[in-house]
Amino acid sequence: MARVYNWQLGREMSYWYPESRPQKQFAAVFDVNKCIACQTCTLACKTTWTSGRGQEYMLWNNVETKPYGFYPLAWDVNVLDALGEQRWSEGRYEGRTLFEAARAGERVLGWRPEELDYAHPNVGEDDCAGKVDRGHAFGGQHLAWFFYLARICNHCTYPACLASCPRTSIYKRPEDGIVLLDQSRCRGYQECVKACPYKKVFFNPLTGVSEKCIACFPKIEQGLQPQCFANCIGKIRLAGWLSTPDKANPDNPIDYLVHVRKIAKPLMPQLGLEPNIYYIPPLHAPDDFMHQMFGPGVKEAIAAYRHADDDLAGLLALFGSTERIVPRWKRSGEQVLGLEEDGSEIVRVPLREPVHVRAGYDEGRAILRTNCP
Amino acid sequence: MKVSHWICALGVSTVVACQRAAAPASAATELVLRTASVLPDDPGDAAWARAAVFVVPLIPQDMVEPRQLVATTSELRVQALSDGTRAALRLEWSDASADQESRPAHFSDACALQLPAKVAADIPAPQMGEPGKPVEISYWRAAWQRAVDGEPLTLASLYPNAVVDHYPFEAQPAHREIAEAYAPARALGNDMAGPGSAVQDLVATGPGTLEPRTAGDSQARGRRTATGWAVVISRSLPTGLVPGQRTQVAFAVWQGGAGEVGARKMRTAWVDMLREAH
Ligand code: SF4
Ligand code: SF4
Repeated sequence: MARVYNWQLGREMSYWYPESRPQKQFAAVFDVNKCIACQTCTLACKTTWTSGRGQEYMLWNNVETKPYGFYPLAWDVNVLDALGEQRWSEGRYEGRTLFEAARAGERVLGWRPEELDYAHPNVGEDDCAGKVDRGHAFGGQHLAWFFYLARICNHCTYPACLASCPRTSIYKRPEDGIVLLDQSRCRGYQECVKACPYKKVFFNPLTGVSEKCIACFPKIEQGLQPQCFANCIGKIRLAGWLSTPDKANPDNPIDYLVHVRKIAKPLMPQLGLEPNIYYIPPLHAPDDFMHQMFGPGVKEAIAAYRHADDDLAGLLALFGSTERIVPRWKRSGEQVLGLEEDGSEIVRVPLREPVHVRAGYDEGRAILRTNCP
Repeated sequence: MKVSHWICALGVSTVVACQRAAAPASAATELVLRTASVLPDDPGDAAWARAAVFVVPLIPQDMVEPRQLVATTSELRVQALSDGTRAALRLEWSDASADQESRPAHFSDACALQLPAKVAADIPAPQMGEPGKPVEISYWRAAWQRAVDGEPLTLASLYPNAVVDHYPFEAQPAHREIAEAYAPARALGNDMAGPGSAVQDLVATGPGTLEPRTAGDSQARGRRTATGWAVVISRSLPTGLVPGQRTQVAFAVWQGGAGEVGARKMRTAWVDMLREAH
């Protein structure tokens, strides 16, 4: 194994191949607080890519309710359990990654779901972490919590799927960091299915090979965001390009959220893959759970999000405002602009939506009206 | 020393060990390709009774990751016949569970035989060959045999209780070609779902380098026995293998039920194979 630098862990780690970062890395920020679990993203992906025979059970995009929702069943619990204790010390990960914990003769510490683990994509949906009984629901704030976690392939910097394939059928594109599985080369060994901790590679029994999320690369190549982004009802998603922390550019929306304001966190960074989908953590879940799920700095992220200044709030208003990838942005007073690399304007949104208040009683027509925000 | 040389050296020393182990059973030190007027293509054919059985010990593939860490199938019983143009090898091994499906987390039983692409003194590494010294492989899979035997691979054959509302390509006849778009592996000619026979012809120049061998002409038929599998694989005789001459052959066996697939396999070292002189 080679030694590579994983900035999410604050240290070097072992990986099957030497470090080779792409010229640009596809990345995204998902604002967990805005997801309504409508599954429009799931269906947008399904319709576009996985409506064929043998793909029936595949969800390259899925949305699960935490803590009791999983697809496949109990994926995160099983992976975390197999890895054992995961220690962080002042932002540095002191435990072992999935590569460092690989058993003798293996490339990655993997976990293989059973076939039936894929049979319950909606398990735990809307289930709270605790009961809301004895009228607590009417008492204002209560302590039971859940949140929706939308998931796609993380197009990891150090993909476990790629490391595990003995045939090098999986590759990371140098031009955009998208991780693809060569459909002509794969021989269906399912090593990647077992190795990917996020369970985003699926075996197709009717083609005999494995398949995975392709980040809608034909759209990305045209400067467009993937289907699950463009169709997101809650406007929770923003796709773009992520730099390493030393090259962070505040004019790049993803860099700004991940590196400058540090409000978006990777999913289970301790596994060591340097995943590239970042989450603005939910406001109301317990600290320990959040720490395990998103690593260090969640509390600070939530504090910054709660007290968002005009710049941060403005950038969040750009989410879901255009199908185009927005590589640059700026705020200009009460307006937020999404820009191309060369500074030309793609989209312009108001920082604050105008609010119209209408009298409850319409004198002219003599009827009562309901005002919706 | 280059890794490939090291693998080769280890392989040669293992051959010796294998032959010693096999000696008490058949007293033979090499597999003999006997001459026959007709090649039986069915493993149950009575003609096989006349061919000597050569027992080859199987060892775990423990050189490249992922390695086979547990020893499962212990030996392979091999018989070999030739009609002067083709060679037919009958492989028999024990495997208590018949695994004939490739599904998520389920793997098919399989076996393979491997020959150096060239009959030469300088033999390739026994583990899938090496750069510049390719090996030719005939790979049989129980799941493909099942399809050939009349149970085509469909969703219903794998999941009899599955119900699907709708496939977009079935809405109108004009949309049929969309089905290809949802099966990119098939559209690209990847035949892992079934090559139309029970066997694939492959070529390799080292671990992880398997490619289809378009010039291959392998045929195979496998049958379940009381204790496992018996498979006959036939192919053209290696070019240049004249009567009285030797080449090498190696074998691999996968027990799908034990999670064996790809590099996770039981394999043999090179075995000397002598083409009978008359
Ligand atoms: S479409 Fe958006 S809001 Fe709806 S479930 Fe998906 S991520 Fe959540
Ligand atoms: S999330 Fe899984 S499938 Fe996607 S790149 Fe990472 S390891 Fe591979």
